[in-house]
Amino acid sequence: MSKVCTMSEAISKYVKNGDHIVLGGFTTNRKPYAAVYEILRQGLKDFVGEGGPAGGDWDMLIGENRVKAYTNCYTANSGFTNVSRRFRHKYETGELIMEDYSQDAVMLMLHAASLGLPFLPVKLMQGTDLVDKWGISKEVRKTLEKVPDDKFVYVDNPFKKGEKVVALPVPQIDVSIIHVQKASFDGTSIILGDEFHDVDIAVAGKKTIVTCEELVSDEEIRKDPTLTSIPGFCVDAVVHVPYGAHPSQCYGYYDYDAALMKEYDVASKTDEAFDAYMKKWVFDLPDHDAYLNKLGATRLIGLKVVPGLGYAKDMTKEAQK
Amino acid sequence: MSDYTKYTNKEMQAITIAKQIKNGQVVIVGTGLPLIGASVAKRVYAPKCNIIVESGLMDCAPIEVPRSVGDDRFMAHCGVQWPNIRFIGFETNEWLHDSDRLVAFIGGAQIDPYGNVNSTSIGDYNHPKTRFTGSGGANGIATYSNTIIMMQHEKRRFMKKIDYVTSAGWMDGPGGRERAGLPGNRGPIMVVTDLGILKFDKDTKRMYLAGYYPTSSPEMVEENTGFDIDVSKAVKLEAPDPEVIKLIREEIDPGQVFIKVPVEGAK
Repeated sequence: MSKVCTMSEAISKYVKNGDHIVLGGFTTNRKPYAAVYEILRQGLKDFVGEGGPAGGDWDMLIGENRVKAYTNCYTANSGFTNVSRRFRHKYETGELIMEDYSQDAVMLMLHAASLGLPFLPVKLMQGTDLVDKWGISKEVRKTLEKVPDDKFVYVDNPFKKGEKVVALPVPQIDVSIIHVQKASFDGTSIILGDEFHDVDIAVAGKKTIVTCEELVSDEEIRKDPTLTSIPGFCVDAVVHVPYGAHPSQCYGYYDYDAALMKEYDVASKTDEAFDAYMKKWVFDLPDHDAYLNKLGATRLIGLKVVPGLGYAKDMTKEAQK
Repeated sequence: MSDYTKYTNKEMQAITIAKQIKNGQVVIVGTGLPLIGASVAKRVYAPKCNIIVESGLMDCAPIEVPRSVGDDRFMAHCGVQWPNIRFIGFETNEWLHDSDRLVAFIGGAQIDPYGNVNSTSIGDYNHPKTRFTGSGGANGIATYSNTIIMMQHEKRRFMKKIDYVTSAGWMDGPGGRERAGLPGNRGPIMVVTDLGILKFDKDTKRMYLAGYYPTSSPEMVEENTGFDIDVSKAVKLEAPDPEVIKLIREEIDPGQVFIKVPVEGAK
């Protein structure tokens, strides 16, 4: 059965206001930007955001006031913007409700969600303000749907007398969105390079949207099952969006668009410049095709990775050295 | 830049990092200076070390400088691409197995005399003056691994009491980690700054100056540290080998992503 649909259909059908959302990818790598842009265009909001290793994806959702509560462990376009600027601004001005965990804790919580565990015991964060200080108080937590009543609870290790450990809540995810290199009509997916937490959230999400560089037949994707990592029945919608992770990287396909990352770094410094950037690159464009046309063929081709190097490089410039 | 005998404190810091890495060690790096240092170590001082990053990439050998730990520049040139959870499991098992080959580099905005590090925010946590990224992998790394902490040596960063503890050091001194439920046989082993190397006293767990650069001095360290610091045991470290400066500028970070080369004629 084909689950292939347009981005507009996938987002309007499976993403609802107030949903608990997780995005795949890692800071500037394989971030599902095309899907984020469509969420923004459709005006969806009030999300409980599970940031994970977040970058511009969550910075834009936060900057556009679409996030009701955010779980943070790291939010930056590393190497371009050391602390995501809208995220920082919204928190410093008290407009963002947010909880901090260590990245290890968050990744294990997402894995625990994929395993269906009731809660997660860890030794992480002990002794630090990650346990002593709460970003979202107990009182506020009670008023927020889909946010657990406690950041964590100390429990005794039942197998080791006297050992106190940190019990973490396991997120109940409404929608997971990941960008992959190849997906087939039925949703079976191939991730090349590091999978990050993407397979975990594809299993854990009540709904999972897969966006892909290449759409292939169900027979084709089964030719080498060592490459596939998500079965089609874990996927609800498949959207074919070449360069759908742009301006982040996509292993084996394209590098980050350093020029656009730098443009965003500058634009995200002020409300006005951010609004102008979002208008230019998201709201004035009806869809992903228009986005690609605005970028232009040569710019996109210039981002293609050099096989063997694994990143984009203009080798003609090397020859002149 | 043709004069490789002139170097910056940042280059000296990177080389100092490199010299701490030993053959056979598994080195957890982030981007920036630790990566430059680890790359120098792999080429010069400890070719048999293995570089790993918290995104889960194991045994990395990047050609061009990666901008993040999830960068394809790491991913395309590594031994194994693990998801992040396997990295966490690995660092934890290294502790469970009582192995001592892991060494990790972390950074931060503030540090106290016991090596507790803040990379979360300045001011009140709930209403911060300045908000940073948050923990990333640093908290887990500081829980289970011996760490070398990278800092800019400034008074406002070396503080008696930091605004938020993101990554545990020696807590409040001897026995502090055990009392907090943390592995007591792990913790910060040194701090490498742009002015020198600081280590932790075996008994008191307090920071002291162990070494300074030809371009710095114990007095500069005292001036730029916001708490009392013992400089009596400090030795002057050797100037860097010009060949290694050349390697950093021409091969490891030619784009000057993390280390700016001094401009000719400038001081």
